[in-house]
Amino acid sequence: MSSILFGRYLPLDSVVHRLDPRAKLLLSFFYIVLVFMANSLWSYVILVAMTLGAILASKINLGFFLKGIRPLLWLIIFTVIVQMLFSPVGGHTYFHWAFLRITTLGIITAGIIAVRFLLIIMTSTLLTLTTQPLDIATGLASLMKPLRWVKVPVDTLAMMLSIALRFVPTLMDEAVKIMNAQRARGVDFGEGNLFKQAHSLIPLMIPLFMSAFNRAEDLSIAMEARGYQDSEHRSQYRILTWHRRDTITWLIFAIGFAAILVFRRW
Amino acid sequence: MKTMTNTWLPKLDTLSMVTLGMLMALQLVLSRFSVGSNLIKVSFTFLIVALIAKWYGPWWGMMTAVVVDVVGTLISGGPYFVGFTVSAVLGSLTYALFLYGKPVTWVRVILASVVIAVVVNAILNTWWVTIMYHTPFWSLLPARVIKQLIVTPLQIVLVYWLLNSQMIKMVQARLKG
Repeated sequence: MSSILFGRYLPLDSVVHRLDPRAKLLLSFFYIVLVFMANSLWSYVILVAMTLGAILASKINLGFFLKGIRPLLWLIIFTVIVQMLFSPVGGHTYFHWAFLRITTLGIITAGIIAVRFLLIIMTSTLLTLTTQPLDIATGLASLMKPLRWVKVPVDTLAMMLSIALRFVPTLMDEAVKIMNAQRARGVDFGEGNLFKQAHSLIPLMIPLFMSAFNRAEDLSIAMEARGYQDSEHRSQYRILTWHRRDTITWLIFAIGFAAILVFRRW
Repeated sequence: MKTMTNTWLPKLDTLSMVTLGMLMALQLVLSRFSVGSNLIKVSFTFLIVALIAKWYGPWWGMMTAVVVDVVGTLISGGPYFVGFTVSAVLGSLTYALFLYGKPVTWVRVILASVVIAVVVNAILNTWWVTIMYHTPFWSLLPARVIKQLIVTPLQIVLVYWLLNSQMIKMVQARLKG
């Protein structure tokens, strides 16, 4: 169980791994917008080339990306089939029955949608595989800083998030331990119908909650004993630095983005 | 304890802040566990959302909802989309509007859960999938509505049970003291 959540990061040494997490986060948010913008054949060619380039640069085996696609596979197949059957009139009509028809235009549209799917999933997988969760958190906290101007408690949220990330593995281990302990006393997890399964989770949830609250109490007392007062008036130990490689990566992508806008059918 | 001078959000002491962090961790953990078959999978993150909303109100609920949604999506490798963050925020807001500072009754829990099921899960989330992947809205909606019809009663019972449980009342007394 515990391997699922935090085992997704792959500690390899590549350019992508060494990039500043802020650069990667901003890129992956921006990338989604770009996928929405692309609508012509050439804009897709550029998008695919940029994505494949990034994947190659990360030195990660393609198999890991295929694993990322699996959970959304049914949605991809469903969408492609529906798109094909309800395709608009255009090009050669291969099949026609009542309101269902398959046309050349429909097949092209379905293909583009499948590519979109794969691109979006692959880039988000790339971000996860090349960035440690703690770096993602530090990067996000740093990107949220401008929100201080609208009085969002960014520092407190960052502190909560780092506490949360620190305790995910601990609580995960604890959950597995409690499950095993209850199994040893006869609880069947994952047996019977939906309601029976949900009911069997009570002997897991109650101890897990209690343990989390006890930990919260202990931690808060320990933090105050170490001089913690608030999240604002403190200094930072973990400092992110923006290198030249981050600027260069952004330049490369900015050129690609500009090219996509040029080749887009407006 | 002077916590957060520069914000309009309700003030938190250290214990409340750490508890919120711990609840966010629990939410990330529970999102990995689910019950049900391949067709219908239910995870129990809504319990934490309801609990945070009940204890800390709409503002902290919405803030933590944003953070958990963004971070949870990114570290699990799923594709990030702003729409789902909006859904998470609205879900948390709905729970808070019905439950924050009010007794947890069947009527309140049912109303909150039904509003979330219809507005957030059935309509909005289907719409986001449509925007993201061009999946036709009307062909996706029926399956999602059927799923919600089965899952919502379960959610109602579980939220009512958790928020009225002896354990939660005990912890609540400890947090206030």
